[in-house]
Amino acid sequence: MSGNLSFNDVTKKFGTTIALDSFSVHVNEGELVTLLGPSGCGKSTALRVAAGFEAPDIGDVRLGTNSVLGLPANKRGLGIVFQNYSLFPHLTVLENLEFGMRVRRVSKLRRSARVAELLDLVRLVGLAERFPHQLSGGQQQRVALARALAVEPQALLLDEPLSALDATVRLEVREEIRRIQRDSGIATLFVTHDQEEAMAISDQVCVMNSGKVEQVGAPKTIYRFPSTPFVARFVGRVNDLEVEILKPGVARLVGHAQEFTVPATSGIRGVARVLLRPEDVRIASQDDTGTLKGIVKTLHFGGATTAAEISVLGTDHVVRMSDSTRAINCEVGDNIEFVFDTERCLVTAATH
Amino acid sequence: MKPGRLAWWLVIWVVGLFYLIPMLSMTRFAFQRIPVIKLSFNNVFSKWTIEPLLTTFSDSGFRSSAMLSIWLAIATAVLTLLLLVPTMTIAHLRSPRMRRVIEISAVLPFVVPAIALVVGFAGAFRDTIPQLIRSPFGMVPLYVITALPFTHRTLENGLASLDLRTLIDASRSLGASWIRTVLFVIVPNMRASIATASFLALTVVLGEFTIASLLLKNTLPLYLAYAQGQNPQGSFAVGLVLVVLSAGFVTAANRFGKRVVS
Repeated sequence: MSGNLSFNDVTKKFGTTIALDSFSVHVNEGELVTLLGPSGCGKSTALRVAAGFEAPDIGDVRLGTNSVLGLPANKRGLGIVFQNYSLFPHLTVLENLEFGMRVRRVSKLRRSARVAELLDLVRLVGLAERFPHQLSGGQQQRVALARALAVEPQALLLDEPLSALDATVRLEVREEIRRIQRDSGIATLFVTHDQEEAMAISDQVCVMNSGKVEQVGAPKTIYRFPSTPFVARFVGRVNDLEVEILKPGVARLVGHAQEFTVPATSGIRGVARVLLRPEDVRIASQDDTGTLKGIVKTLHFGGATTAAEISVLGTDHVVRMSDSTRAINCEVGDNIEFVFDTERCLVTAATH
Repeated sequence: MKPGRLAWWLVIWVVGLFYLIPMLSMTRFAFQRIPVIKLSFNNVFSKWTIEPLLTTFSDSGFRSSAMLSIWLAIATAVLTLLLLVPTMTIAHLRSPRMRRVIEISAVLPFVVPAIALVVGFAGAFRDTIPQLIRSPFGMVPLYVITALPFTHRTLENGLASLDLRTLIDASRSLGASWIRTVLFVIVPNMRASIATASFLALTVVLGEFTIASLLLKNTLPLYLAYAQGQNPQGSFAVGLVLVVLSAGFVTAANRFGKRVVS
């Protein structure tokens, strides 16, 4: 039986360190929510609090409508997949998958049927008699996922399950996790520090910093409309430009005369910073106004797309641009004109 | 042969012979029916017999002291595991500082002489719990302490080789109670180190003399010392059997460990 998982104003301290600070997140049934943030931001602590491995100082964790704080870890009915390979090394795949069901005294007949079902789900049919050390890292994590699902948990907690895998396998297991999660419709909390992983797998991303939620939203929203400088800088690459806000909606690079428009909503005046995605910088066409001149410093060919670093003429500013390889038709050392598409940029105070 | 390799072999041979010569001498003395002064290279293969061993085995004094030592060894191994496995597991999970305290405490028996241990033990419990002094099983805690440097190190290595936190969390999240987690997850994964620690405790008890002697308990080492006067050949024969058994225990534990790990 799957249900909602919600954190309500959870605060957790370790000594004087605040690991979670009024942390609130809601995971709906069938939804995959990712906690994304740098190391030490509290994302794993949140998961451990939900799992019952840590007790919060303040706040509540609910499964459906019921608080789970009074329940020990073994009574919470949550499935967990860990970062480190957590299969029991002395048990075969079959015995690992049966472990939770044996605890719940599920009949042998039902256990066998469920194990067959799970092995099929994670595409490991035929490996039931293997020991964990006889499996690859990707296979081990798939067994760990199957083991977590074996007990039909109310929600699934995934603590950086892909971080120990190499790049190709990681992609494969990531797709597998998403497929299984969608098929089972289980509320899933996924913890990662890898923004690309978070963007690719999630229904909702919760960006965390110093124990606090910075922004929660769909991956596209988080990327295109970051609500804080931290989110803009942490998720994807960003041009962090020092500007002068001349009047609401009008700015120029410090030390440069060319004016360009910025969102007028911030209310900031004077020296500020503009955070702008590389794909919001493009080579100017003849119709563009407010263009800037620069010299191409580096080009990074990435197949379909190319990234360029442009040194703005007459200043110390370096602007990063990313576009389709066809659009960036220049060489290192070329003089080019470019413009900023600033509708989605974030204007922030100079100190942020 | 390179000079380094030559030195290596030289050391191995010198140390090996240092152990081997007394063992071979002991074997000849125990199992050849030839007076010691007549033992020579010429009669290496003559008059071998296991009669001294059989004579000792048939002695009721031997049997009772051997049984006592075996029971004491088993009790020591059990108490060691009951004390150390949970304590060290908790220390690994909760408190690195506690681990260091345990580690230092575990090597203390190296510097505390057995006589000091017995005098302290007897002084503390003679009036408060006299049964502890009277019963031979009162020696078990002392044996646990004596074996501690070896047993602790073995179990510590076993624990350190596990990702204990993840295994426990995984087990708990699958619904297992703490007891089930310890019995079905931690202990099976520590089989090798538990077996080695048990065998080490066993060998320590089978060879310990001072404590039993000071507390006037008739354990196997005491019997052997006493029998040296009555039946020296038999006493040496049993001593040899004990050495072979101890070596067998340690080898078995190592093999067992390797099989489990692979």
